[in-house]
Amino acid sequence: MRRKHMLPMFLLSMGVALLVAATTVGVAASATHKSQGAASKAALKGGVLRVDQSAGQFDTLDPGLAYVTNDWAVLYTTNLNLVNFPNKPGRAGAQLFPEAAKSFPTISKDGKTYTFHLRSGLRFSNGKPITALAYQRAWERILSPKMYAQYGIFDQLNTMVVGAQAFTNGKAQHISGIKAKGLTLTFHLTKPNPTFVSILGMQWFGAVMPSMKYTKNPAGVLVYPSGGPYYIASNSPGRTVVLKRNKYYHGPRFQNPDEIVINSFPNSNGESALLQIEKNQVDFDMAGIPADDAAKVAKTYGVNKPNGQYHVGTESCVIWEAFNNARPPTDNVDVRKALNYAIGREPIIKLLGPNAGGATDQILVPGLPGYKKFSAYGNYPNFAKAKALLSQADVKNPPALNIYYNPASSFRTLEAQFEKAQLAHIGLQATLQQSDPNSYYGPIETKGTTYNIAHSGWCADYFDPFDFINVNFDGRSIQQTGNVDYFYFNNSVFNKAMDHAASLSGQARAKAYAALDQLLMTKYVPAFPLYVPTFRYMTAKRVKNVIYSNYFGYPDLNALSVG
Amino acid sequence: MAYFLIRRVFWAIFLFFVATLITYIIFFVIPTDPAQIACGTHCTAGLIAHIRKSLHLDLPIYQQYWLFIWNLLRHQSLGYSFQNGASVRWLIGQDAPVTASLVFGGAIFWLTISIPIGILSALKPRSILDRAAMIFVLVGISAPAVWIGLILIYVIGYKLGWTPLGNYCSIVPSSTAGGCSGPAEWAYHLILPWMTFMFLFAALYVRLIRANVMETMSEDYVRTARAKGASASRVLFQHVLRNSMLPVVTILGMDIGLALGGAVFTETVFQMRGLGSQLVSSALADDLPVVVGIVVFACLAVILFNFFVDVAYAWLDPRIRLST
Repeated sequence: MRRKHMLPMFLLSMGVALLVAATTVGVAASATHKSQGAASKAALKGGVLRVDQSAGQFDTLDPGLAYVTNDWAVLYTTNLNLVNFPNKPGRAGAQLFPEAAKSFPTISKDGKTYTFHLRSGLRFSNGKPITALAYQRAWERILSPKMYAQYGIFDQLNTMVVGAQAFTNGKAQHISGIKAKGLTLTFHLTKPNPTFVSILGMQWFGAVMPSMKYTKNPAGVLVYPSGGPYYIASNSPGRTVVLKRNKYYHGPRFQNPDEIVINSFPNSNGESALLQIEKNQVDFDMAGIPADDAAKVAKTYGVNKPNGQYHVGTESCVIWEAFNNARPPTDNVDVRKALNYAIGREPIIKLLGPNAGGATDQILVPGLPGYKKFSAYGNYPNFAKAKALLSQADVKNPPALNIYYNPASSFRTLEAQFEKAQLAHIGLQATLQQSDPNSYYGPIETKGTTYNIAHSGWCADYFDPFDFINVNFDGRSIQQTGNVDYFYFNNSVFNKAMDHAASLSGQARAKAYAALDQLLMTKYVPAFPLYVPTFRYMTAKRVKNVIYSNYFGYPDLNALSVG
Repeated sequence: MAYFLIRRVFWAIFLFFVATLITYIIFFVIPTDPAQIACGTHCTAGLIAHIRKSLHLDLPIYQQYWLFIWNLLRHQSLGYSFQNGASVRWLIGQDAPVTASLVFGGAIFWLTISIPIGILSALKPRSILDRAAMIFVLVGISAPAVWIGLILIYVIGYKLGWTPLGNYCSIVPSSTAGGCSGPAEWAYHLILPWMTFMFLFAALYVRLIRANVMETMSEDYVRTARAKGASASRVLFQHVLRNSMLPVVTILGMDIGLALGGAVFTETVFQMRGLGSQLVSSALADDLPVVVGIVVFACLAVILFNFFVDVAYAWLDPRIRLST
């Protein structure tokens, strides 16, 4: 009897042993982690910061091509800019400081020449010295025709600096208006530009090796020496990015974790990362928490408690419904006003769960120079006013409004359906037009587009109202394709007013833009501003020193401490 | 045997080309604009035109297919991802070890569990063990991989805290993996995915092995061996198992291919960046070169596995090659 069962019993025991062995190895490994964590608890520095990126991945970490907020959050840890944002919470974190530059630039009397003097002894992560050439190359990479980086052109960088347009057109080897000599860097602008220093805070303008090649391929340059607190040690597109501390960085920004490991999971909805953060297996998810969990997480952990785990930070963005100002019936300003009354902001924000953002009917966002709070339309639907405006509009038999949305997002789908229902209350018909989930912006950025209402928004490229108002609503920039002004709003009076505001500086500039913000939303109404979003995120229990940047919309990764 | 091998090799090559052709037609003829996708947001008409030319999308479809085959054979290139510009071959090289770890590790798990249970059930039919095994079989067959994975994550990973809830660590120690590499971390992070696979496949294998062993035990040659005084273990090893394992080898070859399909769910649940997970994200993003590359790779893997199983089967059972 015994002998007969020996083989199967042996095999069964092997199977059980395999399971037990694997689990034991795992538990042992886990125990090692715990003891290591305990030993270095007192230190702020050290450890590996484990970051997930659910439902997303980096477009690219090439500083000349990157434009999305998650890309920039990483580049902020690796870049050494002439001027940059400090690791400080709140408003202080939005004030630029001279980083690679010894001080803010000296500006010529005519306001067109900016001269920077770099600190001596700055080095890239490979030990090579950082000179003015590093910044000249950064500008040339963003504007080179070999890079196809359209974003620089959208921000009019090609017309900002002398010789930039010729360089972009391939007619010059270098941008003649940028002179690099040793540690001195001089910019010659085509006209005075009070936003110029703010623009240099963008993450396109970190020091790059003067030999960094041009490439239009996001996988063209994956790892490269950088001058900031960290450098990209490895970079597998769509998978894992490992940042390591740059031993040559001696600036004021934090270098807390030894390493920052960011794993991207495009297919994940964030639930798994949330559980892992709760179990201390992951420190932070760049996607934040899933909207469905917001109420439960807030109840369990509290919101923004000192040393707490659940954080809500306001972003420097505004989410809006863009109106097509060139297509009936949204070409009529009274219809646009009526929509601002009829749709209702708060009901839409509620779809996103608690603490998703604050309702707004402004284009400028809190924290920007020139932001002055006003309320023109209220946050809840006012059908009576909307109907009155519609009758005033004198639009007979208005065509159905085309609500364009991305069906890949359940929120956008619900929002579009809600808007259709709201419009029905004031007698307007609407049709829902789904976008290609992977190509949402292409059609609305093309002149002649057929949408009337499209969900979109804007986040600060740099902290200046020009970036919100002039960049989006200057109708003179409208081309056949690739339009940033996809409102197709073009008003010569407003264009002049924008030009005037852009020429001002200091308090006068702030006042002018505050007036423009109000004028835009009360007189011209090119959009339906909806809310200023927040970033809702959890950190693992071991994470300390959480400093949220409302410019990047993320906590500063280099500051997070897991030591 | 040589004729058999040559025939099988040619058949495998033919199958490979048919698979690439069908895949290419399906994925490159669907109504989407690869140039627009590759161009990304904020694109200009000039840039789209440039990309269309550089991707040879302006050529007739048969020329595009020819270029695809030419690049595949001549340069071993499957193209570049529209999403992030990475070489598809490189992406597959990154993903394949993850999926291989999952599938082969899972196969070892499910065989190690199902062989003893199957044999025990066959030796003691209608016993408590046999009935318990049947319940296990029913649960395994009925439950979807996603559900099993989520339950394991919740109970073993989250509530008990014995295992990680997800992620994958390379088996090769690396200084740029943030401490998540090496055989111990690799195995630790794969326990739950392997167990998920085990539940999925072990159920079928227990049934298969039980039936085969019971059938073989009633064969004349087994009775003869017993009558000649062979020991129970000798009968089991030499006569019963050898013969009852032949169908298992065949099914295993096919199931390894099927397991690649199962990996789509398992990798998604456990946040592993393998071929399955990559396939899903690329398909959702219309990243056609990656989708085609993975399908071609999977086809090649299945064809190769089946080829090796055919050869192994012919070697184990002479009747196969004699009949051909």
